[in-house]
Amino acid sequence: MIEELVRDALRWTDLAIFVYFLALNSSYLVLMAMAGLEFGKHLRRIPFAGSDDMFRSPLTLPVSVIVPAYNEGASIVAVVQAMTALRYPRYEVVVVDDGSSDDTFEQLRKHFDLVPVPRVVPAEVPYRSQVLSVHVARDNPQTLTVVRKTNGGKADALNVGINLSRHPLVCMVDADSVLDPDALLSVAKPFGDDPLRVAACGGVVRIANGCKVVGGRVVDVRMPRQWLVRIQVVEYLRAFLMGRTGWSRLGGLVVISGAFGVFRRDLVVEVGGMDPETIGEDAELVVRLHHHLRRTRRSDYRVIFVAEPVSWSEAPASLRVLGRQRRRWHRGIAEILGKHRRMIFNPRYGRIGLVALPYYVLFELLAPVVELAAIVLLPLGLWVGAVDVAFAWRFVLVAYGYGLLVSLVSLFIEEVSFHRYPRWSDMARGVVAAVLENFGYRQILAVWQVAGVLGAVRGRKAVWGAMQRQGFGGEVDSTEMVGVGRS
Amino acid sequence: MLWVFTVVIAVLAGIVAVTALAIVTVRLVRRRRQRRTARLAAQPRRALLAFVAENGEEGGDELVAVPEDAWRAAEPHALALLGKLRGEAHLGLVSVFLRRGAARTALGQLSSRSPVRRARAAQVLGDLELRRAVPELCRLLTDRHAEVRVVAVRALGRIGDPAAAWRIIAALDRPDPVPSLLATHTLVQLGPEAEVTLSAALDHPQARVRAVCLDALGLLGAAGSVHRIARVLRDDAYLDVRVAAANTLGKLGTRSALEPLTQALRGSRPAALRAAAARALGDLGAPAAVPTLRDLLGDEVFQVAHEAAHALRRLGPAGLEALREVVEVETGTRSGAHAGFSTAASHAREALALAEVLQGERVGAAA
Repeated sequence: MIEELVRDALRWTDLAIFVYFLALNSSYLVLMAMAGLEFGKHLRRIPFAGSDDMFRSPLTLPVSVIVPAYNEGASIVAVVQAMTALRYPRYEVVVVDDGSSDDTFEQLRKHFDLVPVPRVVPAEVPYRSQVLSVHVARDNPQTLTVVRKTNGGKADALNVGINLSRHPLVCMVDADSVLDPDALLSVAKPFGDDPLRVAACGGVVRIANGCKVVGGRVVDVRMPRQWLVRIQVVEYLRAFLMGRTGWSRLGGLVVISGAFGVFRRDLVVEVGGMDPETIGEDAELVVRLHHHLRRTRRSDYRVIFVAEPVSWSEAPASLRVLGRQRRRWHRGIAEILGKHRRMIFNPRYGRIGLVALPYYVLFELLAPVVELAAIVLLPLGLWVGAVDVAFAWRFVLVAYGYGLLVSLVSLFIEEVSFHRYPRWSDMARGVVAAVLENFGYRQILAVWQVAGVLGAVRGRKAVWGAMQRQGFGGEVDSTEMVGVGRS
Repeated sequence: MLWVFTVVIAVLAGIVAVTALAIVTVRLVRRRRQRRTARLAAQPRRALLAFVAENGEEGGDELVAVPEDAWRAAEPHALALLGKLRGEAHLGLVSVFLRRGAARTALGQLSSRSPVRRARAAQVLGDLELRRAVPELCRLLTDRHAEVRVVAVRALGRIGDPAAAWRIIAALDRPDPVPSLLATHTLVQLGPEAEVTLSAALDHPQARVRAVCLDALGLLGAAGSVHRIARVLRDDAYLDVRVAAANTLGKLGTRSALEPLTQALRGSRPAALRAAAARALGDLGAPAAVPTLRDLLGDEVFQVAHEAAHALRRLGPAGLEALREVVEVETGTRSGAHAGFSTAASHAREALALAEVLQGERVGAAA
């Protein structure tokens, strides 16, 4: 009797998991369809988008680009050089050295001839570290500011940067990012087109591994050498490029990458800046903005995403670093959803409360849990005779086959819209990576992600840890920005 | 039940294969099209460059004679050139477009059902700076698609006919108005002849309209409107409009702006307005503002004190002297080397340090 009950339970659970996979991949397809429509609209409008007018207009909103840096001595000069040469009429770069133990500041001081200035640092948004000194470039004092502070984590560094920024728009960029020359122009354009309603705009982040970078510019886009990174390229296309564009079109974007996003400074100050207690501080800020704006303005605001041009970032090339990154990301999602749980299914927050956040709970937070459950329960069902072999292999084939289809559709949309990988071999590698992703990568990812959720549940302090960078076009070792909890 | 799975697997396999094939097909088609376009555009592009090199004096007939398919391939390049050229070369290229019937086609497409076509046509008419298209472009200011309205405004700015000023202002007074910054830029492009219209619009009931007109008047250097702007600074019901008025008075740089800006600095006024007025006094360049600004250095609102310090810096020797005095007085009375500076002295030190760096930068640039 009990055996029969267990068998029934397993059978129905396996079926439920199967339905879940179908729903998950179908939701991806819907987002991709939305993204495809958005890309089509974007591409048809390029001839009259008016980017050149924006570049020439004296009224284009100036931007403060905030670059938090921790132990980036090996690459910081090239990164800042590239950032000070972006195509944008008026902007400043604020580099916040978050207590680096290497020569990050010394490199900047030497190269840009920095001189100290006794800047008064306001506390418009709270920060908990101590600002040691503020410097400007002797030859370009209005364009480059470098702040030295004691270590307090990335969110704290960003808060200091926000306090010191002088312009109405703030752009947050990672210190290892390489921006396309027009990236700032594109990501700030929505603020000029709809200045009263646009609150934040995210730019797309692509993987720079394998690309040729000259003078701080990606000049030749190529697939990375390692399969591990190639799989991430496909993953970024599917989840970030397509997923976020789809959400943007649906009016439900809740994640803007900390690697490249522009915000209205006054709104960031109103909501209190970045939260140093959350490891996913970038997404948390966006959710908090939604929370604030929905309460104060109802639905008359926009948080949007532009798909081109892009910011290029280095992706982890080893399982160890990738694991740490994914644990951190998923922990961030769990923390944000926990912190803003009152918004979930709350009609007061419109599409964010009723669609986007429930989606994140169901298909982002729980997806690895369900995937792991499938990995355990399907063999168990086979063992106890709840499901037969004929069902099991079909189940696996449909679940992963649908996943493969979703990845291929994202490659197809990329090919039609942006065509960033011009070599046949690179596209072929992308297709193979989409297949390989299903053999081991997704499963190990689920383990890391569940570990991240458990970390959030236990409430242990999160550690970002170190990342061995390959560097762009050379062997560069540095460490990743250290977040909350680093002593 | 199992047969359903089998069917789904077969369908999935089919779609996966079709998608993979579609990727290859799209790539092949794109390459073929790119090669064809490059081949077709090669000759007209060379002719275009030669035409521009000759300042538009020679080669026009050759460009007019380019076959239609080759011209279509080279047209994006020609339109990009049109936006960049000035003077004779620009007029020459415009003449080529007109002789090829581009204006007629674009005017016809302004009534197209497709918003993309209407917007593209408006863009072309703006690039051609075709005055006779102004009434049609003004009609597009009420188009149901926002992007078409935006392109129409931009095109009107390129053409620069002041007669369009009222229509652009009216386009701001809609439930889904054209972007303020774009409207301001366009109104400035219409030139000083638009000043009368802009000044009259300062009485418009819509706050956004008043703010845009103020910004445009400032960029146009409309010194004749100072009194009207000062009235807006004093009486307007909207803070954003008053801030815009303060900024505009600073840009105009006339002596008569000193008194209204000083009045706007009173402690009872909103902090944003006081900060804007302090900044505007710095832009004004009047040494008479020094005592007022000096008093603001210790203001409890960071932005007001900060703007006052930098306004003093921009005022030149008199302002810098005032900043130095504040620092020296404090340095002399400080109890110890480690005692902190007051708010006023901190802001003064910051402004002085920046002035020193900027001075060095200017000297370096001159050398």
